[in-house]
Amino acid sequence: MTTSASVLGLRDIPAEPDRGRMRRETGARLRAAMADRDIGALILLGNNAVTYATGTSWPLGDAGMSHVERPVAVVLADGEWPHLFLPFREGAAEESDLPADHIHPPVYLEFDEGVETFAQWISEVIPTGVPLAVDELTGAMRRAGTRLFPGGPPADAAPIVGAAKAIKTLDEIACIRKAVRITDEAMVDVQAALAPGIRQIDLSAEFLRRAFELGAVASMLEPIWQVMPDTKAGGVWTTHGDLALPLLSTERTLLAGDVLWTDVSITYGGYCSDFGRTWIVGREPTARQQAQFQRWRDVMQAALGVTRAGATAAELSRAATDANGGSRPWLPHFYLGHGIGVNAAEMPMIGTDLGDEFDANYVLEAGMVLVLEPVIWEDGTGGYRSEEVVVITEDGWMTLTDYPYAPYGD
Amino acid sequence: MATEVLADDRALRFGRRDRALAQMHAHDLDVLVLGRQANIRYVTGAPQLWVAGTRPFGPSCVLVRETGAIHLLSTWDEGVPDEIPHENLYGISWNPVHTIANLQKIDGAATARRVGSDALSPAFAQLLPMAFPHAELVDGEAAIRAARRIKTPDEVVAIRESVRVAEAGLAAAVAELRPDTSAHHLTAVLLETMTAGGVSSPARQDAVWVTSRDHPWRQVRGGDRLRPGDLVAFAPGVVAHGYIGEVGRTWPVGDAEGAAGLYARADALWERLAAACRPGAPTGDLLNAYRDAGEPLPPMPVAHGLGVGYDAPVVSPHLPLTAADETLEPGMVLAVTSYVWAEGVGAVLRREAVLIGDGGPEILTSSP
Repeated sequence: MTTSASVLGLRDIPAEPDRGRMRRETGARLRAAMADRDIGALILLGNNAVTYATGTSWPLGDAGMSHVERPVAVVLADGEWPHLFLPFREGAAEESDLPADHIHPPVYLEFDEGVETFAQWISEVIPTGVPLAVDELTGAMRRAGTRLFPGGPPADAAPIVGAAKAIKTLDEIACIRKAVRITDEAMVDVQAALAPGIRQIDLSAEFLRRAFELGAVASMLEPIWQVMPDTKAGGVWTTHGDLALPLLSTERTLLAGDVLWTDVSITYGGYCSDFGRTWIVGREPTARQQAQFQRWRDVMQAALGVTRAGATAAELSRAATDANGGSRPWLPHFYLGHGIGVNAAEMPMIGTDLGDEFDANYVLEAGMVLVLEPVIWEDGTGGYRSEEVVVITEDGWMTLTDYPYAPYGD
Repeated sequence: MATEVLADDRALRFGRRDRALAQMHAHDLDVLVLGRQANIRYVTGAPQLWVAGTRPFGPSCVLVRETGAIHLLSTWDEGVPDEIPHENLYGISWNPVHTIANLQKIDGAATARRVGSDALSPAFAQLLPMAFPHAELVDGEAAIRAARRIKTPDEVVAIRESVRVAEAGLAAAVAELRPDTSAHHLTAVLLETMTAGGVSSPARQDAVWVTSRDHPWRQVRGGDRLRPGDLVAFAPGVVAHGYIGEVGRTWPVGDAEGAAGLYARADALWERLAAACRPGAPTGDLLNAYRDAGEPLPPMPVAHGLGVGYDAPVVSPHLPLTAADETLEPGMVLAVTSYVWAEGVGAVLRREAVLIGDGGPEILTSSP
């Protein structure tokens, strides 16, 4: 029996996650998802998938480094503990609670020699004929072919991990909430520093300083402080003719009246936060800008009005679209909302190019954590975009975010 | 960093692309499909949003050997160089069917005979043949790794700049080293300084830790408060203009008993490592330097190439045969790590960025 948010409320989310319990419960979910697909062993290379499967969290580094120096997990359907091949993590904050005989020296799967070592271990631990799934194949793994996968090409592990992690345990929600709180608190200081003359990159520096001081383990993306154009046509060229987002921060100096769409994410215990608010540099919103915010509020209220376990993704997009006068209140390359967990954006995704039928068939369940981020736009206002993180419950939702909407509202 | 998002300089872009195309030729690849951010930056010169950690494979950039045409997954053109026209950009998609449809439109996809990709997932192993119906799908990472291994002169300039940013972060953090502060605080200072210096994309976010007096490589757990006598390792890494710069130093909190002897060992080891950085030498000499100095091999690679990511060679105690087979060549840039430990004292880590020159090594790092 796993602890879930199905019939519980905010007060049931522990203040501090119990990491041992979290790993046991996510491990059980993962093995159940393997059983559903008749998979006997999972080989996981992706940083986020390894975090999910092993409960190990470390400050993620640049991808170009992480392909070479990365932990690898092997999950057996009949084993309580996952195996973890762990590189030396300088300063890694978390050591694993796995038994010593399940922690192994690093494997270098980018190299033929590393794959040979790994294939030898696999052949000793996993009997031939056990169906395998893997989330990534490096060049050296492809060259090794049947020496690594004697039973033929492996299945894709991504849908298995995806199915397991869609519904969060209470300890996972506790991690997300902690990440969100660290982010919100750091952003209070960043917003206080916002004034004409400051550079985008200064806001990034302030955010990183505060977030790490408050206990963030890693920043998940370059902080975004996008200055919105006056008109769609006057903005950056895009493939779809709509707005670009997110555009990179630079040393650009912010001016009074600039409308900023902000976006940052950090991790705590391997779980992500997501933050988005619209700010105006050194000015109060005009009546037209205020109306953009009001429209955003109406759209958010409409979407949350139908949000509960059992609702489909399509119901949320329809409610949001209706409240926006019939046009979709999100950008064509993104979504009305997305899940969050060990990835800053994961399933469920609502309103993507996966299409209406996909959304109509996607049923929300209690314990899913959603980030809703409608976008409102009218030329001449800079538009409005903010994000809310909510947990789906049997009869509705509960919010994990509590950040004011200044300068637009409380 | 500028006040606009700019593509990498033309000389940098074309120098790298020539190397990539030459390796496609050498590896007999008609098309290269890239999903890794570093490879995409290498080929396109377009800065893209930095996101921490590895990402699942997806075909985000396609280079066609015959025409040199580049197709790039990008919904906007900011930072995209002129030689990649709008019609070669395809937008962000969550639906693999749409992604494959975009690839099918690429000139040369239908007729390609050998297509390499820098990684693959079982799902895309099924899907890519729909975009390249007559092609054998093979590894493409070996080709792009071979291209990235040797740096062009413009790349060396870029790495020097990245090293400078990492060293600025190091200096700011070391300046705040005192008892009762924490490794967390020093990391915060380090990241703040590198960001204010114009670079909000760290290569490492675990840049400061207290070395253990009880275990050869574990970090000190719990508390996080620095105590007098602690040996604190600083190993910042940064991605500036796409290039990783790294440096590593160890500083004591106040007087650390026994540290003088340990620093002397680290210096003696470093002398041997530096001497091993000769063009033409096997990379295994870097592992042998530890043996010759009487030091145990460290828990991390002794050296790795610096470039748009970690490049070859990666010289690790876990890859001895690979190290014995590989040779240092002029134009490689390495991060070389000297690491020694003493029970009851802690560890001293020293990491230098080294350019292998025709006549010998040039140390790019200059931190005290």
